[in-house]
This record gives sequence, C-alpha cells and structure tokens, in this order.
Amino acid sequence: MKHFTKLVRPYIIWAVVIILLPLLLIVLYSVTTGGNDLVNIQFTLDNFRRMTEPVYLAVFAKSFRLGLTAVGICLFAGYILAYFITFFSERTQSLLILLVTIPMWINTLLRTYAWICLLSDNGAVNTLLQMLGFQPVTMMYTDFAVLIGLVSDLLPFMVLPIHTSLCKIDHSLHEAAMDLGANKVQTFWRVTFKLSLPGVLNGIIMTFLLSISTFVIPKLLGGGQYMLIGNLIENQFISVGDWNFGSAISVILAFIILLAITGMKQFDQEEGEEE
Amino acid sequence: MKKNPFKKGICLLLGTLLAACLLGGCGNSGKPVLKVYSWGEYLDTSLLSEFEKEYDCKVIYETFDSNESMYTKLQSGETYDILVPSDYMIERLIKEDRLQPIDWSLVPNAAGLDEAVMGEEFDPDNTYSVPFFYGSVGILYDTTVVDDADLSDGWELLRNPKYAEDIYMYDSERDSFMPALKALGYSMNTTNHEEIDQAYEWLIDQRDTMDPVYVGDDVMDNMISGNKALAVVYSGDAAYTMRENEDLAFFEPKEGTNIWQDAMVITSDCTEVELAHAYIDFMLEPEHAYANTVEVGYTSPVVEARTKAAEEDFAGIPAYLPSTLGDNNEVFRYQDQETKEYFSELWTKVKAAN
Amino acid sequence: MKKKRKLGSGLYITLCFLFLYLPILVTMVYSFNSSKSLTKFESFSLRWYENLFSSGEIMHAVYVSITIALLATAISTVLGTLTAIGLSKTRRILKEAILNVNNIPIMNPDIVTAIGLMILFSSIKLEKGYFTMLLAHIALCTPYVITSVYPKVRNLDPNLANAAMDLGATPVQALTKVILPMIKEGIYAGVLLAFTMSFDDFVISYFVTGNGISNISIIVYNMTKRTNPTINALSTLVILVIVVTLVLVHLIPYLKRRREEGREKEIDSLLPKEEVE
Repeated sequence: MKHFTKLVRPYIIWAVVIILLPLLLIVLYSVTTGGNDLVNIQFTLDNFRRMTEPVYLAVFAKSFRLGLTAVGICLFAGYILAYFITFFSERTQSLLILLVTIPMWINTLLRTYAWICLLSDNGAVNTLLQMLGFQPVTMMYTDFAVLIGLVSDLLPFMVLPIHTSLCKIDHSLHEAAMDLGANKVQTFWRVTFKLSLPGVLNGIIMTFLLSISTFVIPKLLGGGQYMLIGNLIENQFISVGDWNFGSAISVILAFIILLAITGMKQFDQEEGEEE
Repeated sequence: MKKNPFKKGICLLLGTLLAACLLGGCGNSGKPVLKVYSWGEYLDTSLLSEFEKEYDCKVIYETFDSNESMYTKLQSGETYDILVPSDYMIERLIKEDRLQPIDWSLVPNAAGLDEAVMGEEFDPDNTYSVPFFYGSVGILYDTTVVDDADLSDGWELLRNPKYAEDIYMYDSERDSFMPALKALGYSMNTTNHEEIDQAYEWLIDQRDTMDPVYVGDDVMDNMISGNKALAVVYSGDAAYTMRENEDLAFFEPKEGTNIWQDAMVITSDCTEVELAHAYIDFMLEPEHAYANTVEVGYTSPVVEARTKAAEEDFAGIPAYLPSTLGDNNEVFRYQDQETKEYFSELWTKVKAAN
Repeated sequence: MKKKRKLGSGLYITLCFLFLYLPILVTMVYSFNSSKSLTKFESFSLRWYENLFSSGEIMHAVYVSITIALLATAISTVLGTLTAIGLSKTRRILKEAILNVNNIPIMNPDIVTAIGLMILFSSIKLEKGYFTMLLAHIALCTPYVITSVYPKVRNLDPNLANAAMDLGATPVQALTKVILPMIKEGIYAGVLLAFTMSFDDFVISYFVTGNGISNISIIVYNMTKRTNPTINALSTLVILVIVVTLVLVHLIPYLKRRREEGREKEIDSLLPKEEVE
C-alpha cells in the first residue's frame, strides 16, 4: 500500500493554498490598518482593542446565549427523534432518515421566508389562533422566531450523527445490562446514552458552529436589532467597509470556536478512556 | 455494516445529472458584453432581453442591496460598465475617479428628463450621472390606527408612545439617522459630533421607549399585511405598497426630509462606451421608462412616463409624486471616512444595545 | 406494550416532521398564490410558474447551482477519497497535520471561511465568478468527504492491497477493484454530504462570486426587495424532483425483485419436478 502515499500530495498543496493561506490573510488584516490595499499597511492591535468595548462584548454574549439555547433545544428534540427512529425496521429507518435529510436540500433562505409567512402578525399561525378563538400573538422579530428558524434549520444536523451512533450500538449490550439487573432508565443512561456520546458530540459541534456564525436567519426573523457576531462581521465587510476590524472579529470567533471544540474533543477522549 | 439503499440511488442520479450538464454546457459567443450593476428588482427585466436583441449584445445584470455593498464589490476588484447607485455614492465615485463623463450627444432621449431633478448637488452639471429614479423619504401609516391629528408631530411621531411597538425603522445608518437629525432640526449631512451624538441619544431613546423593529425591504410585505402602524419608507416603496393596501397613507414630515436620486453612471473601466450610452438612452425612452416605473413603483424622471403612470397606474396615490421642493429637504452628500466611521459605529451601538 | 411504544414514538416523529416540513409546505402552497404577498393567499394561479420559466436570471441561477454542486461534489469526492486512501499509509506526524488542517474548514464558521477566500481571491487578482465559486465549493466539500471516507479506509485490512498486488494486480487495479468497493459506503455518504453542503450554501457563494454569476441562494437573498413567489415555484419543483427520484429509487429495485421472483416461478413451473431437486 506504500504506492498510495503519493495520493496525499495534491491535497497538501490544495490545503496550503485554499485553507491555510486565506486564514493567514485574515490574521494579517486583523493586525493591520490602512484600508483594503495591502500596499500601505501599518501594524496595530487597535482592532482587537475595539472588541473589548461593552457593546461588542454584548454582541458576543448574545450570540453565545442564542447559539447554546438553539443547540440545547436541538439536542433534546433531536436525540429523542433519533432514538425513536431506531425502534423501526431497517428499511423504515432509512426512509425516515432520508426524510430528515430532505429539508436540508431545500434552500435555507426559502425555508426562512416560509417561517416569516407563518409567524408574522397576520400570518398563518395567528389566523389559526384567531379561528380557534385565541388572541393573536406577536412572534415575528422576537427571540422565539429566531429560535424557531434556527432549530428547524439545524435539527437534521443533530439527528443524523446521533442516529448513526445509536445504530452502531450492539443490541446484546442492552440485554446484558438488563440481565445484570439494570432497570430501563439505568440501561438507557449507562449504556445507550453513553455509547451514543460520539454522535451527540458531533451533533453539538455541528449545530453550534452553524448557529454561532449565522447571520441571515437572525436578520430576517429577528430584524436589524438582532445583532449577532455573524451580522457584525457581515456589517464590517459589506456595509461599513472596515475589513481590518471585520477580520479581527473573525479571528476572535474562530479562536473561541477552536478552543471550545478542542475542549469538547478532550472531554470525549477522557470519557472514552474511563471505560 | 448497515446499508442504505437510497444513498446509492441518489449518487447514481447525481452522476447522470453531472454528465448531462457537462454535455449540455454552453459555449460563449463573440457578442459584446455590457455589465450592469443595479439595485435588486429595479427594472422590468424583459427590457433587458429586448435591449440585447436590438443591439445584438449580451447584458450581464447584477444586483446589490445597498450602496455600501456595491462599493465593497468594486473595492474587491470587480469591474462593471454601468452602475446605478444613489446620490452620495455617486459623489464618492466621482471623487475617487471611478467614473467617466457622459457624452450627452449619444443620449437623445435625455430631452424628456424633468429639469427639476437635474443638476443636484452631488453632480451639479450632470457630467457623470443620468437620473433613473428619484423620490423622498417619509412615513407610511395605517389610517385605521393612526390619528390624523398626530401627523403634526412630524418626525416626532416616531417617538409618540401611543404607537410603541408599532413601528418599522430602516436598517441602514443613513436612513435611520436622517429622521433623528431632522427631528432635532439639524442637517442630515452634519459632521458636527455634538449634533450626531444628540441624534444618537434620540435613536437610543426611541429604541428604549418605542421598541421599533429595524427592517430592510421586508417592510413592504409587512405593511401590505398591516402588521404595524408606522414605517419609515422611500416614497417609491410607499407608492408600491399603497397600491396593494388601500388603508395606507404616506406623508412627508414638515421638518424636511431626504430627497434622493438613483442615477446611471458609466465606470472608467467601461470599454463598450457606445453600447453603454445606448443602454442609458434605451432606459430613458418614455415607453421603457414607463414599464420600469410601473413595475417598481418608483418615480421616473422621464416626464412623459411619469405623467402617464401618475394618471393611470398610481391614480389617487400621492406618494408617487413626492414633493421635492420643501425648504428643509436635502440630498445626501458624501461623508469623509472619519464621519462615516463615526456614524457606523454609533449605528452598530444603537442596534446592539439591549 | 411494544405496540404502544411504537405508537408514542410514531406520534413524536410525525410532530417533528410536521415542524420540519411545515415551511416547505407553506412554500409550496404560496407558489400557487395569485397575489404577490407571502402572507395572504388570494386565489389559485400558475403565474409564478410562467414567470419562473421566462426568467433568464432564475434559470441561469438554477443552472449555476446544479452544475457547481455536481462539479464540486465530483471533484471533491475524487480528491477526498484519494487523500483518505493515501492518508492511511502516511507517516503519523504528517497524517495528524493533514487531518487537523482538514478540520479547519469544517470547524471554522462559514463566514470566516468565506471572508478568507474572498480576501485570497481579491489579493491574487483572480477574477470572481463561476471559477472562484467552484473553487470555494470544492474547498468547502472536500473536508466532509475526507472525514466520511477516512474512517472506512482505516478499518480496512492493510494487507488487502498488498495481497491483490502479489496476485498480479497493478496498483490502479488494486485501488479500483479491491479498495474502492470496500469503502463505497463511506464514499456515498461523502457524496451526499458534499452535495447537500454545496447546493444549499449561501454565505460562501455570496462572498466569492462576481460577474453576474449567482446561485439560487443569492437570487433568493436579492429578492427581498420585492417578495417574489417565483422562487416558491422553483422550490416546489425542486421538491417534486426529489420526491420523484425517491419514488423511482424505491420502486425500481422492488419491481425488479417482483419480476425476478415471477420469472423464477415461471421457470419453476416449466421444469419437471424431479429435476428441481
């Protein structure tokens, strides 16, 4: 199989040019000023200093709060869904999993527009509520709307990895646990849940990543006042035109995320070693 | 190993599709190409194919959602032949030498343009710009909710607690600072930090007491559905919206407002200069201008088209003919980098404040 | 008791699917709306379908979306699979390094990747358009292919390829006849993931495109100016295509089996009974 080591080479070149170089450029922009031309640049840390202003810290806090809430809801609802799906025959399971995947093929933006139409003050949900004799509720441009949009976008990313790891669990382990006197709850937490942890972690990482950097869903469902990190970055690049500050925010975001993920992976490994 | 019978099927399908697409790939013909960069949904797109046929060329029509994002695109090295930005952005492009003068002898249809919208401060002699649409900014309100007597508040209507949580503001720094500055009696082109700070306080206070929603163009669909009572909108959007919902009315506050203009300009990168002029002339042809104004709802500077649209399609909708002459009305001017950054930082703070 | 459990879980699954499919359903319903509004349904009409097929802009965006997704999937699948196979035999340090770098696009928020690529393309003065979008999509997709194929490669018996070559197979034959069939499940998964990622991408495409090249997402985003149900018509068609494909994929093997079973029975009945045994 030695012959195949050469196969890696194209990717190494590719990765350096298309993955590492852009990152270096972002870092370069983040520590310089002098506009968007690379001709007359000056090194500075001002871009990072600006980040410590309370307004920007608040944006970070809000993004993390929202991201974690969305992940929490996805985890709860998604785990149950993935778990229930495993009750069915293999053929039904693959059909169900496919049904989970299909929404990902429909444009996210389109689905978000559909939520606007459902949730707006005179939208479908409120019309239904009124028909049933309830008071209409304001849902658009609230946390609720943004969360609904995020969860419906992210749920498949949570269900798929969890289902994959649930499927890998050997059924005889359950029986063994039961034989050894564990009750159902114990069996679930000690065996099933523990063995599905890799999938859970993958799901958490995936949904967290997507929710923390989103900018379209909060913009459309939360309105302009729903300022998250993604919106802040987009603003700097698209409307303000301050690429240096925008790069600095990106660098910090990337750094925090890498830290968080490394932490989670560490946790995963330690868990693994315990067993 | 668990097998999923669907996966293989889908992969096969993708493969066939790929082959089909590669076989059906299209070649490029040697026709001249004109690249136009304009606001989204800003003309009757059937005109483009008509133009292509008439001049045997290809038009690449790209759209942007704000002057700033257009500028970012230019900055990232993108080139176009024709741009359709707004007043202050045109001034900036002129200052940065990104435009070339219009050869008016190649634009015979310019004779039909309304003199009143020519020669605005951003381009006093119309050396570089040919008006495409113009209008004002005002407040669109739901007549079933808003008391007529309150309209005398002018821009302060946006801080009238009666309508708390019932307001849409524009999610753009210049369009949001404009009402605040006007309400305080200042010029919307001020560079005085003290005045800007006061306007910032005004916006923060509005945000705290009124809880407005900062929206983009989704404001129109929301107002058509009657979701909220008040919205700051462009006159053209108001005309379009009022055509769809009869309960709405539009007024321009007495303290003065923003008179804006979007105009066609030719970039200095443009090589198909004659074709570019032909395009501009084509758009000023009264019939074509009429098609555009009816499709979009914005006011056309071509007198013949405007009169026809006002009499037929926008009869009874005064927002279609904004009053551009008020004493305190202004046109947005170019901001230097320092002022611009000051505004955008404050605007970020208004939006992010909790 | 088992039935009860199935009923309860079935109910929950139905609810979840309702939640996931509600927006899609709404999109479909409003594609038949005669008015422009996305919140008020007036009457049934097909005008948005007419609009869709007469709009060169949208049809071109569809073409861009599909070809980019297919090309990016194909290229990244080949690149990713070969890399994954090569990786299993690479020195440990290099392997770790590559896998870590490979994780960057997956872990980095989309917007950071997008901005990095945008800065890269504009600093090397590469003209933005179809090609840059394709490059960006390959960059986005390849890591997903590698992460789904690599675990399968690692599970292979390292001596397999050697055995094949000892028996006279060339390295290419060993690759295509022995290794690829063993890891095809991983490749299928990678293809699916890559296609999904590319087809639905907005952020990266938004930042790296130019020259009038837009995909469906960008068109939709630019349509906020005037809400436009034309795009609903488009997504209804996309859903239709997916459903038809699924039904076909589901039905064909079933019909085939039925037919074969039927033929076997026919043959059985033709043959004298003793010979069957």
